[in-house]
Amino acid sequence: MKKCILFLFSFCVFHTFAQVPTGFKLLKDTAAFKQKMQEQSKLINSMESNFTQEKYLSVMSEKIITKGHFNFKKVNMLRWEYTDPYKYVIAINKDKMFIKDNNKITKYDINSNKMFKSINEMMVNTVQGNLLNNKDYKPAFYENEKIYLVELTPVQKAAKDFLKNIYLYIDKTDYVVVKVKLTEPGDDYTIIDFTDRKTNQPIADEKFTIK
Amino acid sequence: MKNLLLSSFLAIFITACSFGHYKRLLPTTIETTPLKPIFGDHFNSFLFKTNITVYGKNFSGLLITKQLKPADYRVIFTTELGMKLFDFEFTDSAFILQYCVPQFNRPALLKTIQQDIEILLMNKLKTQSLQQFMDKQNKYIVYRQMEGKFSNYYFTDKNNHQLVKIEHAKRQLKKTTFALDNYSEDIPGMIQIQHHNLKLKIELALLKK
Repeated sequence: MKKCILFLFSFCVFHTFAQVPTGFKLLKDTAAFKQKMQEQSKLINSMESNFTQEKYLSVMSEKIITKGHFNFKKVNMLRWEYTDPYKYVIAINKDKMFIKDNNKITKYDINSNKMFKSINEMMVNTVQGNLLNNKDYKPAFYENEKIYLVELTPVQKAAKDFLKNIYLYIDKTDYVVVKVKLTEPGDDYTIIDFTDRKTNQPIADEKFTIK
Repeated sequence: MKNLLLSSFLAIFITACSFGHYKRLLPTTIETTPLKPIFGDHFNSFLFKTNITVYGKNFSGLLITKQLKPADYRVIFTTELGMKLFDFEFTDSAFILQYCVPQFNRPALLKTIQQDIEILLMNKLKTQSLQQFMDKQNKYIVYRQMEGKFSNYYFTDKNNHQLVKIEHAKRQLKKTTFALDNYSEDIPGMIQIQHHNLKLKIELALLKK
């Protein structure tokens, strides 16, 4: 019996450790971290950055790499632009969403479509780090020397169908998201790396409307 | 009434034209290069910027094809943002739906897209014998693959042997046209799949091979 309990206990311990991502440890003071995130995000009015997106599919021997540029401006304005190997732009301007695919422009009312509304919330909140407060995701917090890692697991079944979890990698020096990893139920994933980041530089509102 | 008569006449005329289309092909036995699958047999992967327009709704994204074994292919469609929409596996004898988001999980739509991709992969050509024709203008060599009441006509350029068009027909009636052009190193840069009896169009632009 003792052996049995010991075995179960050791499995539990192992299981707890197995969940912590490699290279990270559990973050103890999560309240302080959340508060600091909120304070820092209040200081950011605009942001722009280049990004590299890597799509990993288990059947493929190589990753699909796409590159682009993104702009963000408070409140609720975002331009997500792929430049290589194809041109594709998503611009969000409050309750309007524009998609430019090659030369074709489509305009949507975000509130008219549930899916667009959730894409908008996800993109804007990811950039702002606000996903931590979203009740649709269960958070877990980790850290290493340079990075805070927030693991978000979707709570609702609809989201669970296409998303296993989201990892937000947050720079410890300025509390800004530097990398996002989205893992699908079959363990295929997408990594978005942000580089050449600039904050609080003037960005014209026209950038967030496509004509 | 006049309009009704006129439109009925036009409908019969157009249908008759489509039916007659294949009757203008002449059987031939001339020696030609065998018809090669577009995506085989080098175990390569191909990446296409893709637009699927179905009854006015547009899905854009990336289509990836990967040959795993000589007759085994994976075809995956993701959004530009990386979200997987469907994941198909084709073997020489079976089709496996590996994954599909609920928004795409409509049996009739999935089945049609599956059939289109199957025709494009040309997987069944390896095991079936083909009939060979010339068109009347002597421009194309046409290979016909039959399966029950359905036929696929593969039109290849007589001079450079490139596959320029595939037509999928039920009995003698054309149902789908695949147009292939912008070739580079034997791979088409553009593929357009147009259904004639459904409001479905699939456009593929090659990004990487």
